[in-house]
Amino acid sequence: MSESAATAGQSAAARPSVPRNIAEYGVCVFLTLLGVVVLVDALQLNNNRTGVDPLGPKPVPVFVGTVLIVLAVALAVAVSRGNQAEAEAGEDIDLNQRVDVKTVLLLLGVFVANIVLIDFLGWVISGGLLFYGSALALGSRHYIRDLAISAALSLATFYGFAIGLGVGLPAGILQGIL
Amino acid sequence: MENLQFLLDGFATAATPTNLLLALIGVVVGTAVGVLPGIGPAMTVALLLPVTYGLEPTGALIMLAGIFYGGMYGGSTTSILLNTPGESSSVVTAIEGNLMAKSGRAAQALATAAMGSWVAGTIGTLLIAFFAPIVTRFAISLGAPEYFAVMLLAFIAVTAVLGSSRLRGFIALTLGLTIGLVGLDSVSGQARLTFGIPQLGDGIDVVVVAVGIFALGEALWVAAHLRRKAVEVIPVGRPWMGKADLARSWKPWLRGTALGFPFGAVPAGGAEIPTFLSYITEKRLSKHPEDFGKGAIEGVAGPEAANNASAAGTMVPMLSLGLPTNATAAVMLAALTSYGIQPGPLLLQREGGLVWALIASLFIGNTLLLILNLPLAPMWAKLLQIPRPYLYAGILFFASMGAYAVNGSSFDLILLLALGLVGLGMRRFGLPVLPLIVGVILGPLVEAQGRRALQLSSGELKGLFGGVDVATGDFRFSLVAIVVYVIIALVLLWPLIFKLLRKLLPAKAESAIEDIAHEVEAQVHDPELHTRKELL
Amino acid sequence: MTIVVGYTPTPAGRAALMAAAGAAGERNQPLIVVNSSRGDALADPGFAQPADIAWASATLEEAGVDFSIRQSVRGREASEEVLTVLEEVAAELCVIGIRRRTAVGKMLMGSNAHRILMDAPCPVLAVKAPHHD
Repeated sequence: MSESAATAGQSAAARPSVPRNIAEYGVCVFLTLLGVVVLVDALQLNNNRTGVDPLGPKPVPVFVGTVLIVLAVALAVAVSRGNQAEAEAGEDIDLNQRVDVKTVLLLLGVFVANIVLIDFLGWVISGGLLFYGSALALGSRHYIRDLAISAALSLATFYGFAIGLGVGLPAGILQGIL
Repeated sequence: MENLQFLLDGFATAATPTNLLLALIGVVVGTAVGVLPGIGPAMTVALLLPVTYGLEPTGALIMLAGIFYGGMYGGSTTSILLNTPGESSSVVTAIEGNLMAKSGRAAQALATAAMGSWVAGTIGTLLIAFFAPIVTRFAISLGAPEYFAVMLLAFIAVTAVLGSSRLRGFIALTLGLTIGLVGLDSVSGQARLTFGIPQLGDGIDVVVVAVGIFALGEALWVAAHLRRKAVEVIPVGRPWMGKADLARSWKPWLRGTALGFPFGAVPAGGAEIPTFLSYITEKRLSKHPEDFGKGAIEGVAGPEAANNASAAGTMVPMLSLGLPTNATAAVMLAALTSYGIQPGPLLLQREGGLVWALIASLFIGNTLLLILNLPLAPMWAKLLQIPRPYLYAGILFFASMGAYAVNGSSFDLILLLALGLVGLGMRRFGLPVLPLIVGVILGPLVEAQGRRALQLSSGELKGLFGGVDVATGDFRFSLVAIVVYVIIALVLLWPLIFKLLRKLLPAKAESAIEDIAHEVEAQVHDPELHTRKELL
Repeated sequence: MTIVVGYTPTPAGRAALMAAAGAAGERNQPLIVVNSSRGDALADPGFAQPADIAWASATLEEAGVDFSIRQSVRGREASEEVLTVLEEVAAELCVIGIRRRTAVGKMLMGSNAHRILMDAPCPVLAVKAPHHD
């Protein structure tokens, strides 16, 4: 980074790859929208200040909402000057690969299914499906082994935690059988 | 020495057969999960929190202490056996540790790490027992204005000191503050950001936030970039070391402990700086400097002790002030809250028995860890063979189990999903997660203390800088608050100050600083070492 | 014509390699050593490390065999990798190491050896590890 990005002309010339930047501006939009939501919500508050509470419930959310918008602008300025996000690295993360959208969407689908089903089917079935579906989505191809592990894991957690340690997990349609 | 008496009482509580069993389960499960690649101590504690839900607070805390030390130890095992440390705090251990393992000295590397962890943990816990009451005495003397200032300092410290971009740190912090706003206002009872949803009235449970951001966010992020490669794993026998190794290890253990503890105890001190300092110190003091770069046992013993002592150090501000200084402490605080324990300066007074039992179980957990892990190391190494699909499916599985168990409601799973997506986005856009968690935990407290300070000054802004003297009825500025505000200003202006110092400093001092910087850089500049941006 | 051996750094794998070296020497044919990992775990004991490869090379050089070693990590089963090579070089013989497995273990873990035996387009020589190894 030898160029000083202080002047507009230079920063336009030094602007890095466009697609990454568009996503970064998306973060700015998200922060702005969130700030607006916080502000609108704060405005409907009834700020009756009392001796016990001279500040009232309103100023803090107004402050937070304003800061969100200010930070969104600051980020937009920084990004336009070439500031780039440093994506997080890790043991199992290969940042040279493209984002695997399909896997992420499959995982989200499995997770949503669990939310919908957990109260009706109970933890043993819906949790088992969650593990099975996630393992498949993440690329496991041992269908029978995966099924066995899912069943074992969800039964073990149910008996160990719900019945053994008193953690609140639902039995669902298997109520009375387990 | 009333502290000693309290500590003995704590041991009496912690040493019942049931509680010992709980500590044992905690240590085993914590180590097993901590060894798994990609899972650091903070995620280990977050994922395993629900295991403790059915227990009464003392038992839950005892198990949690075991999970905490187990998770720490598991992480360093991974970093020695593979050259890919899961946490930034293990980076330094991995440098010489992995070189030792490659030259056939894995057993000695693991042994010096395990025993160094034990020494540092034991001394660190003693220091907790000594300092926590002192800091608490100081903390109780603090009024709302001082407490407000100290918490602001915690915000600024985790945001501006850690991580590579201050701007992104502040964005993460403000996101956390926003999440902390959700729920009924504690003073006026008005609903904020609940959108008419009754389940949001009590706010978003910190445990759900921690699990969503740490566990689910991480699993989704890894899924988006799943690595397909097998790395070399060094076969390991039972860890042991001979007299010569012990003679080379014990001083580094003690020096590492001395370096690590104070850094852990101050906000944003973290474990990276003391582990690096320990590495450099040992290299300078070693009688075998030629071994460094080829697997020097001092280079494992010192940093690993510093790492563990730093973890113990974080317990002091956590127990005495309710301030989290790293991600693991943040999750532990969330755990305390979920057991119905209010962290803060009054913790030691109100829940003294509980806190001393926790401190005693830190001793017990730490010792169990040593007894268990020396023989079990080869088994832990086997866990690295778990295929990644199972690993990350398991994280999703336990994350949703934990989030559901918080309130027994599937609504928390919806929140978990939303927070997981936020966590995914934060990793993609380089937003550090620690400021967010700290914002969620401390945000509501800062607001409450600030409003109390203003209440005492009848709404005048100077109420944030001091209070009315009870004896005279005059307003007096608080020295503590002013000093803390000055520190905050220094931290915020540090980049400017640094530039000025560079101009003013004589060239000699500057080149000395640069030498150290280069040395550190040269050690880190191993392409195999992926340092994480945060202390997961 | 070529001989292909599926190699893992295990007793059975080493036995297979030595048998393959013998066969290649007798028939005076080139040998391809195949080793792979699905790469889905951080650690895979079946994936040959530099030391294991060095052992294999030394053994084959000593036997005076013309050989090449192929290692791959691309998310595929070992059986798939071996079968691909068999077809690619139109191999004359395939050598694999086998070990005793329970029926349940086979059902859960799947058996690479079984798949190669069934699907290989050429004769397969299955070798067991010597007892004392």
